[in-house]
Amino acid sequence: MSGFRLADGGRIDRRTKRNFTFDGKARWGYAGDSLASALLAQGQMLFGRSFKYHRPRGILGAGVEEPNALVTVDRGPGRVTPNLRAPSVALHDGLKATSQNRFPTLKTDLIAVNNVFSAFFPAGFYNKTFMWPRAAWEKVYEPIIRRLAGLGDSPTTRDPDHYDATYAHCETLVVGAGPAGIAAALEAAANGGRVFLIDEQEEIGGGALSDPAQWAWLAEASAKLAAMDNVTVLSRTTAIGHYHQNFVVAAERLTDHLPVDGAHGPREKLWRIRAGEVVLAMGAIERPLVFEGNDVPGVMLASAAKTFALRYGVAVGRKVVVMAVHDSGWRDALALHAVGVPIAAIVDIRRDVAADLIEGARAARIACYQGYAVTGVSGGQAVNGVTIALAGVGKGQKLECDAMLMAGGWTPTVHLWSHAKGTLRWDENWGAFLPDKTHENLRCVGACAGDWDFGKGLSVGLLPAPKPLHESKAFVDFQNDVKARDIGLAVQEGFRSIEHIKRYTTNGMATDQGKTSNLNGLQIASGVLSRPVTEIGLTTFRPPYTPQSFGAMLGHHKEALFQPLRKTAIDDWAADHDAVYENVAQWRRARYFPQGSEDMNAAVARECRTVRSAVGVFDASTLGKIEVVGPDAAEFLNRMYTNPWKSLEPGRCRYGLLLGEHGFIIDDGVSARLAPDRFHLTTTTGGAARVLNMMEDYLQTEWSDLDVWLTSTTEQWSVIAVQGPKARRVIAPLVEGIDLSPEAFPHMSVREGHICGVETRLFRVSFTGELGFEVNVPAEHGRMVWEAIWAEGQKHGAVAYGTETMHVLRAEKGFIIVGQDTDGTVTPDDAGLGWAVGKKKPDFVGKRSLARPDIVAPGRKQLVGLLTDDPQAVLEEGAQIVADPNQPVPMKMIGHVTSSYHSATLGRSIAMALVAGGRDRMGETLHIPMPGGVISAKVVAPMFYDAEGSRLNG
Amino acid sequence: MVEIAEIAVSAAELKLGTEPVEAAGVRVSLADGKVRYSMRARDPAVLEGVLGRSLPRKIGDTDAGIACLGPDEWYVVLPDNFDLPRGEGLPVSVVDVSSRALGLVLEGPGALAVLSSGCPLDLAKMSVDRATRTVFETVEIVVWREAEDRWHVEVWRSFATWLWHAFVAAMHGSAK
Repeated sequence: MSGFRLADGGRIDRRTKRNFTFDGKARWGYAGDSLASALLAQGQMLFGRSFKYHRPRGILGAGVEEPNALVTVDRGPGRVTPNLRAPSVALHDGLKATSQNRFPTLKTDLIAVNNVFSAFFPAGFYNKTFMWPRAAWEKVYEPIIRRLAGLGDSPTTRDPDHYDATYAHCETLVVGAGPAGIAAALEAAANGGRVFLIDEQEEIGGGALSDPAQWAWLAEASAKLAAMDNVTVLSRTTAIGHYHQNFVVAAERLTDHLPVDGAHGPREKLWRIRAGEVVLAMGAIERPLVFEGNDVPGVMLASAAKTFALRYGVAVGRKVVVMAVHDSGWRDALALHAVGVPIAAIVDIRRDVAADLIEGARAARIACYQGYAVTGVSGGQAVNGVTIALAGVGKGQKLECDAMLMAGGWTPTVHLWSHAKGTLRWDENWGAFLPDKTHENLRCVGACAGDWDFGKGLSVGLLPAPKPLHESKAFVDFQNDVKARDIGLAVQEGFRSIEHIKRYTTNGMATDQGKTSNLNGLQIASGVLSRPVTEIGLTTFRPPYTPQSFGAMLGHHKEALFQPLRKTAIDDWAADHDAVYENVAQWRRARYFPQGSEDMNAAVARECRTVRSAVGVFDASTLGKIEVVGPDAAEFLNRMYTNPWKSLEPGRCRYGLLLGEHGFIIDDGVSARLAPDRFHLTTTTGGAARVLNMMEDYLQTEWSDLDVWLTSTTEQWSVIAVQGPKARRVIAPLVEGIDLSPEAFPHMSVREGHICGVETRLFRVSFTGELGFEVNVPAEHGRMVWEAIWAEGQKHGAVAYGTETMHVLRAEKGFIIVGQDTDGTVTPDDAGLGWAVGKKKPDFVGKRSLARPDIVAPGRKQLVGLLTDDPQAVLEEGAQIVADPNQPVPMKMIGHVTSSYHSATLGRSIAMALVAGGRDRMGETLHIPMPGGVISAKVVAPMFYDAEGSRLNG
Repeated sequence: MVEIAEIAVSAAELKLGTEPVEAAGVRVSLADGKVRYSMRARDPAVLEGVLGRSLPRKIGDTDAGIACLGPDEWYVVLPDNFDLPRGEGLPVSVVDVSSRALGLVLEGPGALAVLSSGCPLDLAKMSVDRATRTVFETVEIVVWREAEDRWHVEVWRSFATWLWHAFVAAMHGSAK
């Protein structure tokens, strides 16, 4: 028990008590406290166990830089958040916080035995030790290490909270609402533009919150900002990152500071802000010093002690020693003394310290030790004394204390500046990097610009010590348990760049991203290497500035709104008829329509038999559709597709095969010429957007001289496929103005007319091999027309069928599905579609590639049919094919199965496959080794039903 | 073992609203039936000749139901039962896309905030009677500012359900 509440002072409301629990024990604080200040006020020194050695740790800082005091806050089921920094957790009634990474309790941690053997856990230890056996890494070592060396537990249940998100625009965005940020916001606001001022803390003010002399000004400025219509002030809002063209993303925490039963609405809100100018006023973070025992609970930053005392009215100890290499330590000590925090001594490695500081200390009866360094800290779970020695040499002398403050100088917070690719320059006076040049409309003000008076100081991270570096336990990165000697070891093992040293030691790689450790690590590496800091480099800052919740990133994109699910106009009818769905691209499509207790096989078998014997109705609305219009429409299609289009008569359809420049099939579809200058194209469902983009790309970049335009009409038309020998009889009573007779309306033709009183583009096409029509009607009438066709179909025993039956029926006919029977390496000839390539055409997309040596070489994989010797064996799609099943493993694989089904029509299985030299293997028996045994199959032509095509005529 | 509960509401269960929804000073409703055309032309004068009327020439401008969306592109949204000539044989493209999209209307003092929640444009600076193609989160839309507090949003039919519910979620500041 050494911290205590000062009799007065601070911005807390001493009339309002807040009850909370820490590790299950009842505690209390005041409104306005942070979790850290409330616990410190009650004498809590121990806040957590370190990541690797499980060393006891206390509070280091008073802000988001805190590396040690990570806690889990429990707000009920699904609302458990690990790894929150205690100084940044606002106190509210009923707060339930627990410490982390301790077993079984914070005070008695059995894993702390790691600490005893810490000499055996140097940098790179895990990489070196657990190399073998390799398989054990994933199953044994990693899970155990993760369990022992962990942060808080990940959530295991669904997050019940909702998250808001928005875009926002402003002329000026100010990040950081300390004195410099507020001044910048007031100045910008006076010019009349929209101004955003955002700050991560509970209230605006930044450093001024820890300086009562500025409170009157702060209140006035806050009121002024609040009164301005053009200013938006967001507190509890962290600017996560700066992206191109002054796009700043910030997360606002809306409810976590409220009691659970008082929290309504979304938990967080993501602000995506585009700003004309961004002003960074992010301040600076004090650096710890690196010396033996600098991680004992009670050793903390001087600036943190000042904040706890002046902002929260909490003294961190009753006998405080300050170790400074910087004037700011003296100033903080004097400020603490002034409000009643007993300062026993100020130790400074410097002999020359400004006279006014020494005067101040003497007047306050504080012992001053100039030229001295702290060389050791005594105490296990709380500091009880320090050893100081002149110039850090020799045994030194002991000073009793219950808290020790470090003042190692200041590091300007240049994270967002660096996100924006702003350059940095080394500044000797600051012993830190300062903003230099940027290509964005971006500037820094205040401490993060190096424009702040913290006084003078040295920029040494590592204090002189009697022990050699490799024996010391002086910590650089508290959260990742990286010691100064680990950095020494990394250099000794040959690492020279800070990027490599960082990864080898993990310095700066914890959740705090090295806010307190990067500069010290760099200084130590510089010292060991005897090279200037500027030659060793600086690690890269990346978003997020502080850890953020996944929920904030998602915004409304969760659960039902995760992404759009596209449904056709007929989808609801399918749902009413018990459709089982599958997702295809963003669409959901009816896969089959089970009746009674039917499983998929039974339903599909029934649907297939009915289509072949009577008629079936299928919702093909998701097919991509593009209307190609203009005098050069035919010329354009002739250049895009492999086959000739100019000669196609209006009213006729043609199968189009689309290649990429590489000569491989990327899409296909049947398209119709409606008029000399108007075509109705179809693409695959998944290819709709891709094909339109590709065509538009060619049109804009290669053939901008063509008078032709492309319009996506995918969603304009509902497409109802009516297939089967009775198809004509089903639609005949509904169609007006179109002669359906085979002579007037042959296969592969299109007619415009009316059906059920609405306009239709009626195609006579077949993807089943049966007589078939595809009825295109404007989507708003799709459901009505479908129901009319369905009603008519009932007179002829029609079924509604889904995509699974569609797949089987087309496979029986050997029609390919792009993306299933092709994989982006299949040429038209490979797929047996050489007939669709216009031999006389001077050019088309992909033509040149079709002449490449390896495209015309023999032995390419070709599409063939497979019939298993056991007619009931259904091959697995994707299964590998070998010529000789008795060859030693690994066998030579000569192809794979692309499509495979049980065909009810044929009473046996059928399959298609891509097989090397496939068309030369007709009649050969090939083998498909499977876990249950080898399946043999005969190579046949990929055409299993009605090879002569007589059924197209009904 | 992490067990994730069933999704509370699946996208498959969402239905397009048929009745207007009102909250937080915003009302979202479905627009009446419209005819829609996508029109393209290299030379606007040729298209003007086909239509027998003038076209807005500046991208983003609108004129009596016609919005200029690009250097050679116009989008037409007119009341039902309106037929445009197709300009057969001429270097123009007039395509009926009446059924392709639905119109959602956001009205009220909070409408701008709802639309801005998912649209990255600076819509506050968009004048009345201007129109533009943009996105709401991942979904392509055409936004038409019909009045200070009235926005007409065109969205492809199959994305309308998602957009409707995304608007409602933004209205409530949560997806609940």
